[in-house]
Amino acid sequence: MGEGQLSRFFSELEAGRLTGGKCKNCGSIFIPPRPLCSRCGGEMETVNLKGEGTIESFTVIHVPPVFLKEAAPYILALVRLEEGALVMGRLLGYDPNKPEEVKIGSRVCFQPLREKHGEKEETIIAFKPA
Amino acid sequence: MFAEGVYVVGAGMTVFSGKLHAGKTGRELLVEAVEEAVKSVDKGIDLQKDVEAVFTGYFTPEYYEHQSHIGPLAATWLGLTPKPAFRTEIACASSSAALFTGITAIASGLYDVVLVAGVEKMTSLETERVTEALALASDDLSESRVGATFPGLYALLAQAYFHKYGATWEQLQRVPIKNHYNGSLNPKAHFQESISQIAEKVGKKLGVKYEDEMDFLKNSPFNRVVAYPLRLFDCCPISDGAAVAILASGRAARRFTDTPLRLLGLGLGSDNVALQDRVDLTSLAASRSAAEAAYRTSGLKPKDIDMAEVHDCFTIAEWLAVEDLGLVGRGEAPKAYEQGLTSLDGDIPVNTDGGLKAKGHPVGATGIGMLNEVWSQLRGTAGRRQIKNKAEVGLIHNVGGSGASAAVFIFGR
Repeated sequence: MGEGQLSRFFSELEAGRLTGGKCKNCGSIFIPPRPLCSRCGGEMETVNLKGEGTIESFTVIHVPPVFLKEAAPYILALVRLEEGALVMGRLLGYDPNKPEEVKIGSRVCFQPLREKHGEKEETIIAFKPA
Repeated sequence: MFAEGVYVVGAGMTVFSGKLHAGKTGRELLVEAVEEAVKSVDKGIDLQKDVEAVFTGYFTPEYYEHQSHIGPLAATWLGLTPKPAFRTEIACASSSAALFTGITAIASGLYDVVLVAGVEKMTSLETERVTEALALASDDLSESRVGATFPGLYALLAQAYFHKYGATWEQLQRVPIKNHYNGSLNPKAHFQESISQIAEKVGKKLGVKYEDEMDFLKNSPFNRVVAYPLRLFDCCPISDGAAVAILASGRAARRFTDTPLRLLGLGLGSDNVALQDRVDLTSLAASRSAAEAAYRTSGLKPKDIDMAEVHDCFTIAEWLAVEDLGLVGRGEAPKAYEQGLTSLDGDIPVNTDGGLKAKGHPVGATGIGMLNEVWSQLRGTAGRRQIKNKAEVGLIHNVGGSGASAAVFIFGR
């Protein structure tokens, strides 16, 4: 059975590594990796990402999806990685009830988060203050 | 383009509501809207004889009603079989896809009369299940999985906008204040109360007197945070409803009415589904592409638009819409809203029916629900919310999801 690009991305994530796809044509980086560039359709190659970047936007989820009922409120952020890619993740290390303390532009680094999603446990992308 | 023209000869919709339709199914709502549309045809129409095809938008009937195959189901309940019938889906713009399909089917010369419809029966599920259904429109692997909800995605856009332009949540509250006022004048709206009326009612219950609308929005526990900085009144409600329109070719239109609406231009656009795959978080590229195509095909410019129905699923979406449509410049929405440019008596009234915020947002019905408002305003039948100087040109703008789909249509009298 062949392993798909996405299941490889998630097994890398389980192991604490963040990977992306870099376009051989326009240089754009997308997470997760994919066969064709979502900007120009060019061929992509998988690259390792350092996981360091800055907060580009954030929100605090007070009304969560059912599978995260117990986790709310939690902070979600869009992080601009040093390599240029934008990625969504959970933001740790801040108080969700004090959103005014989170500043757009603050430096953060990648930290995989293991979390119970209903019956199963999954690893998701998260960030903490650098 | 459209040498022979594509016309709207009838339109109808149910009330959009969170309660009224509790005991009904989507198919019944659809029939109700069609009955009204048939009545709206000035010279009459024989639905079964005249209509040659039916296209229906419905986002997630699988979730709400354990039902797929909506296209022929609509035909079944309207007595239209064996005519061509299928469902269109681009999330919250699903009925705009039906409208697009109907228009192109007529413009191609294949049909003279088609029915286009939209419906969503949402209140059959608990709010948290509806939240899940809506989340199906986001990128499951990179957004839903980390806990993004739809209010959350738009909150991320709002924060990016506030940061770039120095705008504030307080300034954004002009959107729900305006839309609830318009909704208070619309007998088809989900909420037919202005925010000051709601503030008075809530205040009485809590034994508090709110100074004004902003005092209520800012300080009432009723306006709780959903996804910071967006609160309850920044979000459209969960509604049941259906909306339909009857389209006809140039050679058939006058058989039905002497005052049809003429399609002047249209455009569709797409964008990467996940916010993290987009270039700009302070604008929706799909809306800009759709608007550009609609202006190009109509030969019109933003200044030619007399009224617009735009996709305000969340307050910030209305600001992005008026900017992406070129009705105001980038970053100028806060000032335009302070000046009342888009109010009922402003230069470009926006969401005269109350918008998704107050009129309601039965997802699959929304696009053609917007067309119903343009139909009323341009034909001068909008009652208490009729624009004073009767509008000649109306635009509808409907977005799918957090902006991965967008449709813009321009109609004239």
